[in-house]
Amino acid sequence: MTAMCDVAFLLLTFFILTTQFKKPDVEQIKPPSSISEKLLPDASLMTINVTPNGVFYFQPVENAAERTQVLDNMGKKYGVTFSTPEKVAFSKVQAIGVPMSQLKSYLNLPEEKQKDFKATEGIPMDSTNKQLIDWVQQSLAVNPNYKLAIKGDVTTKYPKVKSLFEGLRDIDFLKFWLITSQEGKN
Amino acid sequence: MAEVQVKEDSGKGGKVRSKKQSTRVDMTPMVDLGFLLITFFMFTTTFSKPNVMDLGLPAKPKDKNQKPPDTEIKLSNSISIIIGKDNKIFYHQQDQQGLNDQTLMETNFDREGIRKVIEQAKANAADKDLFTVIIKPTDDAVYKNFVDILDEMAITKNERYGVTDIKPWELAIYKKKVGEQ
Repeated sequence: MTAMCDVAFLLLTFFILTTQFKKPDVEQIKPPSSISEKLLPDASLMTINVTPNGVFYFQPVENAAERTQVLDNMGKKYGVTFSTPEKVAFSKVQAIGVPMSQLKSYLNLPEEKQKDFKATEGIPMDSTNKQLIDWVQQSLAVNPNYKLAIKGDVTTKYPKVKSLFEGLRDIDFLKFWLITSQEGKN
Repeated sequence: MAEVQVKEDSGKGGKVRSKKQSTRVDMTPMVDLGFLLITFFMFTTTFSKPNVMDLGLPAKPKDKNQKPPDTEIKLSNSISIIIGKDNKIFYHQQDQQGLNDQTLMETNFDREGIRKVIEQAKANAADKDLFTVIIKPTDDAVYKNFVDILDEMAITKNERYGVTDIKPWELAIYKKKVGEQ
């Protein structure tokens, strides 16, 4: 009994320490299934979420210092300066779903309100206004080793995804991952 | 386990002692809880990571005037797959002249559908190493269809495939087929 109990608690400690809880999603996205068994690596990853309505969210890398740099770069590009509290808020934010013009007011919202925030337009991504691509590009400027994963919903319209692919081709960023779920699980 | 060693009474003192209480603690509930937590953490760690599939896009030609390399593929060595609306999927091995209502065939995403089609076309290809699948999603397609087709490429182990825009003449036949024109 003693030995078993010891092993059990050792395992328990191990699992408690290694578990990383999935952060709550900004919006419910159900990825399509595939046979791929490759798991998503978590090394400096940025994610683009595409909701069923074609709204784009950008999820910058986890690293807080590098996040702030990305924000600075974006601010410079769009002529917005961010205060220190806004930068702190940005380093904690889960995903961004607002255009640059509204980012400042979004970051000033209290944290609970940010969670409830539902993007109506998302990050602009069309032929004239490619802010989403700029986010990717500015992140890559901070660290060129970043990887990109795209998470689209089953019912996302293809033209939305296509415009994103075309934009990524424009900046010569050609290798990325598509997040899928394991076949047979749903 | 977790017993406290009680020193033997040396027997000298004549104090009256109360009857010795057992010092064993019942650990069963604690162990139960421990195992419950283990199971919980084991399940959450293994399944929280999503799967991914690789996608590489072709680079855009830098110079507008620079012609893309001549990528003409023999018709018999390739198959065009058109992804339409409502999970419909069409395929053909024709050029502009040969494509009409009859030669644009419809199939579905089932195991017996598109997979058979691709395998058959590959078996009939003149040069199997150069067999290419050309994927042409229409604007009506959804993301799932696109991923399904890429998945099919992985299943049939086709490494030569390309994603491109649908040609106007194909679009016209496709629209006719789905009854939009």
